[in-house]
This record gives sequence, structure tokens and C-alpha cells, in this order.
Amino acid sequence: MKNFFEILLVFISLIQVTQAQSSLDFTVTKNQILIKKGNVSEERIVAFIGEIPEDKLGSSTPVLGKTLQTNEGILFIPIVPFGWNQKYTLVYNHIIEYFELTIPKNYESLSVTEVYPSTPILPSNILKLYIRFSKPINTASVYDHIRFINLAGDTLSRTILPLENPLISNDRKLLTLWIEPGRQKRGLGPNKQLGRVFNKDTYRLIVTKDIKDSNGISMQKDFIHSFNIGNTDRIKPTIDDWKIDIPKINSISKLLVHCSEPMDYGSLQDNINIVDSNTLEVKGMWQLLEQETILSFQPKEPWKKGNYQILCNPEIEDLAGNNLSRLFDKEIKNGSNKESINQQYSLRFTIN
Amino acid sequence: MKTLTSFIISLILSFFVNNAQANSSLKTNFKTGNPGITSIHKMTFGPEGILFIGDSNAAQIVAVDLSEHPKIDNSKVKLDQLDKLIADMMGTTIDQIQITDMVVNPGNDNIYLSINHSSGVPILLRVEDNILKQVPLDNVSYSKTILINPVTEEAKDRRGRKLRKWAVADIKYIEGKVLLSGLSNQEFASTFRSIDFPFSEKQNYSSLEIYHAAHGKYETHAPIKAFIPTDINGNPHLVASYTCTPLVVFPMNEIKPSEHNKGRTVAELGSGNSPIDMIEIENEGNRYLLIANSNRPLMKIDFKDLEAYKGSLTTPVVKKGAAVGVDYVNLPFVNVQQLDKLGDSFIMVQRESNGNLALKTGNSWWVK
Repeated sequence: MKNFFEILLVFISLIQVTQAQSSLDFTVTKNQILIKKGNVSEERIVAFIGEIPEDKLGSSTPVLGKTLQTNEGILFIPIVPFGWNQKYTLVYNHIIEYFELTIPKNYESLSVTEVYPSTPILPSNILKLYIRFSKPINTASVYDHIRFINLAGDTLSRTILPLENPLISNDRKLLTLWIEPGRQKRGLGPNKQLGRVFNKDTYRLIVTKDIKDSNGISMQKDFIHSFNIGNTDRIKPTIDDWKIDIPKINSISKLLVHCSEPMDYGSLQDNINIVDSNTLEVKGMWQLLEQETILSFQPKEPWKKGNYQILCNPEIEDLAGNNLSRLFDKEIKNGSNKESINQQYSLRFTIN
Repeated sequence: MKTLTSFIISLILSFFVNNAQANSSLKTNFKTGNPGITSIHKMTFGPEGILFIGDSNAAQIVAVDLSEHPKIDNSKVKLDQLDKLIADMMGTTIDQIQITDMVVNPGNDNIYLSINHSSGVPILLRVEDNILKQVPLDNVSYSKTILINPVTEEAKDRRGRKLRKWAVADIKYIEGKVLLSGLSNQEFASTFRSIDFPFSEKQNYSSLEIYHAAHGKYETHAPIKAFIPTDINGNPHLVASYTCTPLVVFPMNEIKPSEHNKGRTVAELGSGNSPIDMIEIENEGNRYLLIANSNRPLMKIDFKDLEAYKGSLTTPVVKKGAAVGVDYVNLPFVNVQQLDKLGDSFIMVQRESNGNLALKTGNSWWVK
């Protein structure tokens, strides 16, 4: 009942709009509507999405937001920012105004800046890809904008795990794609029925241009990334095979670790570090180079003489999801269920 | 005299009862203010009107006291063009929003919807008299806990590891514990967590690896997509469904941290399908498990069948798309995107065949 009266009140106030007076002195940004002080007479600003004709205002849903009194006038702050190239209706003091925020001329459109793995040949049991965008993206139904096509131009079906809550980094720029693990992993139903996602062939990853940034603005063109599929990888990465280029003493030269294969970009993040002989962490920055085959570490302070250890988390993976301690899908054998999850993986080096 | 004695006894009893209630309050460490919620991915209600919010972006679980909302009758709720309605309320377009969850407070039948907007602003809405109202989250009574990796692991590696990205897949509350399943962007593994509630600085924190029965030859780590804690044959169990495979049951008292916890696969619900929500409904002495799916209709499993099923599926289903194991019934509701219990019936967000996205109740006839 209370709501009925609320609706009625809005309706009556909107009917009074028919006696519309002069135009309003107001400014609009993405985050607010400001009605200048001279116009202020009411306490409530009502906004609607779209150009709503006067007779439809009563049946339209107002935009949620807060109205505040300030020294400059009366402010309306929408619950989320107003969109660009989107028409809105503003009703205040029986006056209707329409407005639209046009996209700035120098607006930089969303683009894809990196795809990991960047190596042109991926194992047929590739498990993850990462797409880095130039700016934060709209994550709603984001996986709908991503597809793989074969050389014939056909879109492959059931390639990406369609997560409701996408795996997007906190800055909403790095998106993780799981290549349908049910198909990539041997023995599971989807694998048995559909087979693995990729065969030894050439494919293209497409990010369609209708994907939008956090301002609701699309990319200008489709992003296309070609890659080839090679052999299946069912071998655990072994750090003992990794080679270290030891930097010079008293320099801030980079320490380079040459891995024996391209490594998974995501699993290396925050999963590797260097400690000195007192087990104190050496501060610095890690980077992945040369198609994720080289780990580069730039120290903050010059290297000192001494013994060091590179500590690797067992969860560091290769491109097929095999980590340092286990294979992604391992055959069950008697007594093989114990994994060495507590084993420490480290490489030692000395600076003289 | 008898009346006076009764009065005194009842007075003494009421003192103890009130005292016991005060001591049992789950909100003693709640504070008022802005909990800093950055996203709402999954929600569940605990007792005393406490809403648990899984905030994947901030890697936190926030418990918010919503007990002030009055009991309402939502048995006739029906909201059509729900996506358009919410987009209009937010001054945006449908493609800029995502309805991430819908839950009902079993204590007062209030329905809540969580929305994430492309700008990164999370919104909580409540249904009142068939109208959506915003529930502000910037000044609430709350308590929260950060989802961190097990402390021992960090200590062992002597690394100040940053928080990894961990998306909450499902969240449930049972008897002083918040249970969580999720998926990280680093490892495709089953991460199932149990966090004591009320939250405390020194968390009793379990990170469980749960395996579902191997499909013959290969052992499988896989993330749990949806689950419910429930009783099977009088014992506490977890009924879990996986992203790319079946329905699995685990005896709760056999799940141990840092051990392989193997479940029993009781049904394959058809490949090419992913469970979305699971609820349990008790009605006239019958218990039913309802499962909303991405590519199958709403399924109903009678707990009697689940309890009677003693087998374990160990080989993949060969017939394409076929379902095996515990019997289930397809209810005439397809494209159910959100599902929760409402009284002795259920409520859902459903994409109807005409394209309309509706918030509507199911008929309790289906679960009698």
C-alpha cells in the first residue's frame, strides 16, 4: 500500500510537469547531475535511462541514486556512473530535460595487449590461456565474446569453461581462460565423448569486438591470435633442468633462469622467489621473457657475495597443467596416491 | 501459591534462556560501517538474518546483519523482464549487468538479488511487495574474513605471497562453519574451505582437497561447482556437483584437511551440462534435492532414492548425453539461472521460452 502511495506521489508530481517551466541550469558528468543553486527549489532529482516522453514517466523506473544539497546546488549521484552515448531523462521541479554524454574524442578504445602463452606452438592438452586487456573490461558474460576457430573458419564448440564468475584479475584487465578441463583431461565424460579440444593443427583465438570496457565501450575490431597445436605434454616440469645465468657481484644485473619449456603465466605469479643464505628474501621484480621460457629477476639492491636459493612453489605449472609435483591427469597405480605436496623445490646458486 | 511458584520458576528459566541466547549470539564481534565489498559473487544465509557474501575480487567473505528486514509474504512474487528492470534502475543497459545470485532469508522470506555492474560496483537488491529496493552496503553491521592461503604453507616457503585470484563458486553455512568451494586462476583443483564462524583473527582454517571417484583410470582434481551440506541416512554429508562431471557425496566426518578425500559418485547428470544451484526442500516429511543446470531442466531427486543408492559410478557414461545413477525427475522449468528455497517451495530466476527473464515462485505441488 505504501508503495502504491509512493508511486502515486511520483505520478502526481510528474503530471505537474505538464506545466513545464523554463529550462534548467544544470551540468552532467558520468558521476553526477548538478543543478545550479538558482534553480534549487525541490529536494529530489529524478533520472531515467532513455528519452522518456512525458506521458510515460509515471510507468518508467527511475535510476537509483542519492540526492545531496551542496554549496553549488543540488546533486544527484547515480548508483553507477552514467553511460556514454546513452540518452537519459532528467526531471526536476516539473521540468523535463534530456541529456546524453558523448564519448570523448580522444577516447582510447579497449584492445588486447597480450595473450599468454605467447609461444606459437601449444601442447594439445593446453589447459589455460590468459588475455590481457588495455583497460578494465565489463565481465558480464565475458566468455561469450571469446571463441576458437579452425583453419576452415568453423567455430569450435565447448572449448572454454564458461564460469559464471569469470577469473579476472583485480584490475579487471587479465582474464584467465580454462580450456574445457573435462575434455583436456583423460578419462572424463566430455573427453570420452567429445575428445580433446584441439588436434595437431592451426587455430585462431578470437576476441570479438563486441566485448566492452568498464565504460560500456566496445573494441574497434576483433582481436585475432593464431597458434599451432603440437604434441601432448604429459611430463612434469623439472627444475633441475633449468639453467641459471648468474649475475655479477655488486651489480643490479638480471638473474635469468632458462626453463626447459614454456611455463604457465598465471601459476608463476607470486610463486617463485629468491632467498639469501640467511633465508631473507631478496627484493626485486620477476618477469617472464622469451615466450615464457625465461624467468628474469631484477633485484632492487646490488647482488652481494653469497649463496642463494630460488624457491619454487610446487604449484608452478607447464602449459598442460602439469605442476612440479604432479601430472594434471595421472594414471592411478597402487600406492601412487601420495603426492609430494610438501616437497620443497629450489635451485641454488652462488655469487662470487 | 502454585501460580506464584510457577511464575518464579518461569522467571528464572526466562533469565537463563535470555542469557543463553545472548551468549550464543553470532554477532558479538560485528561492527558498524562500510565492509568494503567490491563484488558479490555468491551469497547464503546463516541464522539470525546473517547474510554471507562471497566477494571474489577482494578475496573475502563478509557477514552482514540483515535481520532488521521485516518478515514478508513473497509467495506470490513475480517480476517480469527482471534484467531490463534492474538495468533501468541502474541507468544502464542489460549487457552491463550480471545477476550473480539470488537468495532467500529462511527466517523472514525476504528475497535478495546481487548484481555486478561493468563499472565494478556491486549492488544488493531486496524484493518488497513485488518491487526491487536497494540494500545499501556502505553502512551495515558486519564481520568479515580474508581468504588467504594456509599460513603454514607461506611460513614454510618464507614467502610473502600475494593473494591469488580465487573465484567463489558456492558458499553455504552450517553449524558454526562457512563452507566454500572455488576455483583459482593458478591451479585446476578442488579447493574446498571450511571457516569457523563467528570469524576470528586466528582462523580455524581448513583447506580440503576433494576428489570425486576416479573415472576408471585417472584421478581427478576438479573444482566443486555447487554443493549443499545435508544429512544422508542420518549422517552429515556434503552433496557436491562438479563443473564438468557428476553428483558426488562425501561423509562430512570423514573429510580431513590435507588428505585426499574421495567421494562416491552417485549420478551422472548428462555431459555438456553444469550445475548452477542446489537446494534441499522438505515437504510433508519428504525431502527433495533440486538442481538448476546450465543445459538441462530443473532436476528433482528424492532423498529416499539418494539414501538407497549404495553404488558408486566408476566408469564414464558411454551413451552420449545419457544420465545414470540415482533416479531424477526433470521438472518443467528450463533455463533456471538462480534457485533458492522459499518456505516449503522454491523461487527461481528463469529465462522463459519467450525470452522473458522472470523472478517467480515454483509451485509447491512439484515438491510434495
